Amino acid sequence: MSTHPLVELAQRLVPAHVVDGTLDSSDGRLDALRREGLREFVRMGIPTTRHEEWKYTNLFPFIGLDYTYVPVRWSEGAPTADARTTMTEVASALGRHISIRIVDGVVEADLKHVPVGVEVLELTSEIVESNQDVARTLGSGAPIGSHPFAALNTALLESGILIRLRSGVKCELPIHVSVETTANASTLIAPRMLIIAEEGAEADIIHSSHTSGDATVLDATVVEASVAPSAHIRYYKIADDSDASRSISSVTADVHRDATFTSHALSIGGRFVRNDLAIRLCEPSSQGFLYGVSLLSHNEYTDNHTVVDHMVPHCHSEELYKGIYDGSSTGVFNGKIYVRPQAQKTTAYQSNHTLLLSSKAQVQAKPQLEIWADDVKCSHGATMGQVDEEAIFYFRSRGIDEATAKALLTYAFVSEVAEKISLAGLRELVMRRIARRLSAESILA
Amino acid sequence: MTPLLQITNLHASIEDREILKGIDLSVNAGEVHAIMGPNGSGKSTLASVLAGREDYTVTEGSVLFNGKELMELSPEERSREGLFLAFQYPVEIPGVSTANFVKTAVNESRKHRGQEPLEPAAFLSLMRERMALVEMDPSFLQRSLNEGFSGGEKKRNEIFQMAMLDPVLAVLDETDSGLDIDALRIVASGVNALRRADNATIVITHYQRLLDHIVPDFVHVLWNGRIVKSGDKSLALELEQRGYDWLKQESAVEA
Repeated sequence: MSTHPLVELAQRLVPAHVVDGTLDSSDGRLDALRREGLREFVRMGIPTTRHEEWKYTNLFPFIGLDYTYVPVRWSEGAPTADARTTMTEVASALGRHISIRIVDGVVEADLKHVPVGVEVLELTSEIVESNQDVARTLGSGAPIGSHPFAALNTALLESGILIRLRSGVKCELPIHVSVETTANASTLIAPRMLIIAEEGAEADIIHSSHTSGDATVLDATVVEASVAPSAHIRYYKIADDSDASRSISSVTADVHRDATFTSHALSIGGRFVRNDLAIRLCEPSSQGFLYGVSLLSHNEYTDNHTVVDHMVPHCHSEELYKGIYDGSSTGVFNGKIYVRPQAQKTTAYQSNHTLLLSSKAQVQAKPQLEIWADDVKCSHGATMGQVDEEAIFYFRSRGIDEATAKALLTYAFVSEVAEKISLAGLRELVMRRIARRLSAESILA
Repeated sequence: MTPLLQITNLHASIEDREILKGIDLSVNAGEVHAIMGPNGSGKSTLASVLAGREDYTVTEGSVLFNGKELMELSPEERSREGLFLAFQYPVEIPGVSTANFVKTAVNESRKHRGQEPLEPAAFLSLMRERMALVEMDPSFLQRSLNEGFSGGEKKRNEIFQMAMLDPVLAVLDETDSGLDIDALRIVASGVNALRRADNATIVITHYQRLLDHIVPDFVHVLWNGRIVKSGDKSLALELEQRGYDWLKQESAVEA
């Protein structure tokens, strides 16, 4: 069997001393991780639709392209890249914020206004070696042994973004990480982000991706978050105007006592989005909130694979994903909830609701609850269907045409999740984008 | 005078079952007509057919509304032309506020008449004024349309919408069902306040009691898909006393 071009590329990109681990002096934590990543990626290879976790995720149309890898590197000096994408819209919706842009691989962080106690650093081998918390966290969440693209990302890990919130720091300014790619040739990028929230820290982190070129951008992003006791992290992953992007991401969060991790997966314009999100509730009274909006049309694809792992007693999780699928788009939702034997008094709720606006659109929904504890409250619900005909008639009988009625009803359907976004500007942007997609901007007036 | 509504030999079916078997009815501006009849006689079907519910197929006859063939218009066009149906079972719409719904509806009608959308402030004060007609609290404006409303609140909301849309012809489909006596009075006084010489109302009801409050000029009895008897308001009182059976027998003899 011949080696897949992407595997070959990874093998070419990882230097021999990393693969062999021969140079003792430089063989630190990062190299060891990379070695493990490469080994696992080579072992797993490219998943096919025969693989249960990738059953509906057909990578075949783009995975064999001749990719050029664009590594993440930090720029010196002032930002230079011009914004040719919708990134500016997201940025302006956020108002004053901390901006970290990765433009064709080049990191441009505008750190003038970063408050005391908020650190945005390049994730390097030196940082890993000299910071125990970084060394401990990096690679501890990402599913390197089971997710081929998390393994690929790890194999290629030379530089990344470290966001560290020092103890008790509440970052008033949202932190926006935008990944912008303007490639003219098939490009592989593998951004890596590590979020360390120390005790009592709090922040909103927005992670958006945008493309403006014609060439395919394969984006294998990995985000790991460690949320210390009483810390609160709200993480927003936005796929917006990224037609050329094939985004396969892994986001993991370890949540400790009295801490929360809230995730919003906002797919409002992504050609191909595969989000893997895993939240581990690892100490009592930790909470996970998972929200998702997928608004798809044409031949777009969004696939949300989520895992909530209730490892200990007295934790709470809430999950609400809504999808609106038009054209010949496909949405996938796979929601796993694990409640370990010792995780008594767990409350875990999951719901996933879908509206199909076209007969060619499709949805695959799979709730998967595995509950080994007996004193728990868990529920899940999944619905899929069309806009209620009786409701449409009610609108029409009041002079509102069918298309507007459908748009209003669809908008109402999805607004329940969008309303969970606590950043007002971002919430309005998402609502506006949804209204625009539904050609129903007038309803916002 | 040309009638506002002229129904001629109207036949309508649902799933090949004929429900309306030749309705003839004329309604002039300024009039209130009551349509009564036992369950299953076709009252609500008539309301649905007039409003354009697509479950029904009109197989024969015509309905002229203000000189236009109603059956050729979509439900939304009928509304914009001035027809209003107060639903027997108003639909709950989570996520769409009453204010937003009404505003969209009113502006569609205004657009149809070549008018500019109302300014937000003017609109709000108009809504408040019309809500007062049916003693609705303004807080309902921000609530999702009909969601969690009581039966009476839903019916009052229907009349509020009617007041906002200011129809030429309103069809009230069993608006009295599920109302207690106070709600009935409020709803009826709202409807009465909207009566003018240039509009008309068709009240569809099973019982006479609504007609104590909305006094009709004509009462028609619908039975087995046809109007079998018409009269003035005294007919409603007679029905209240005698029930429908004597009419069923009478019409059976005629047929």
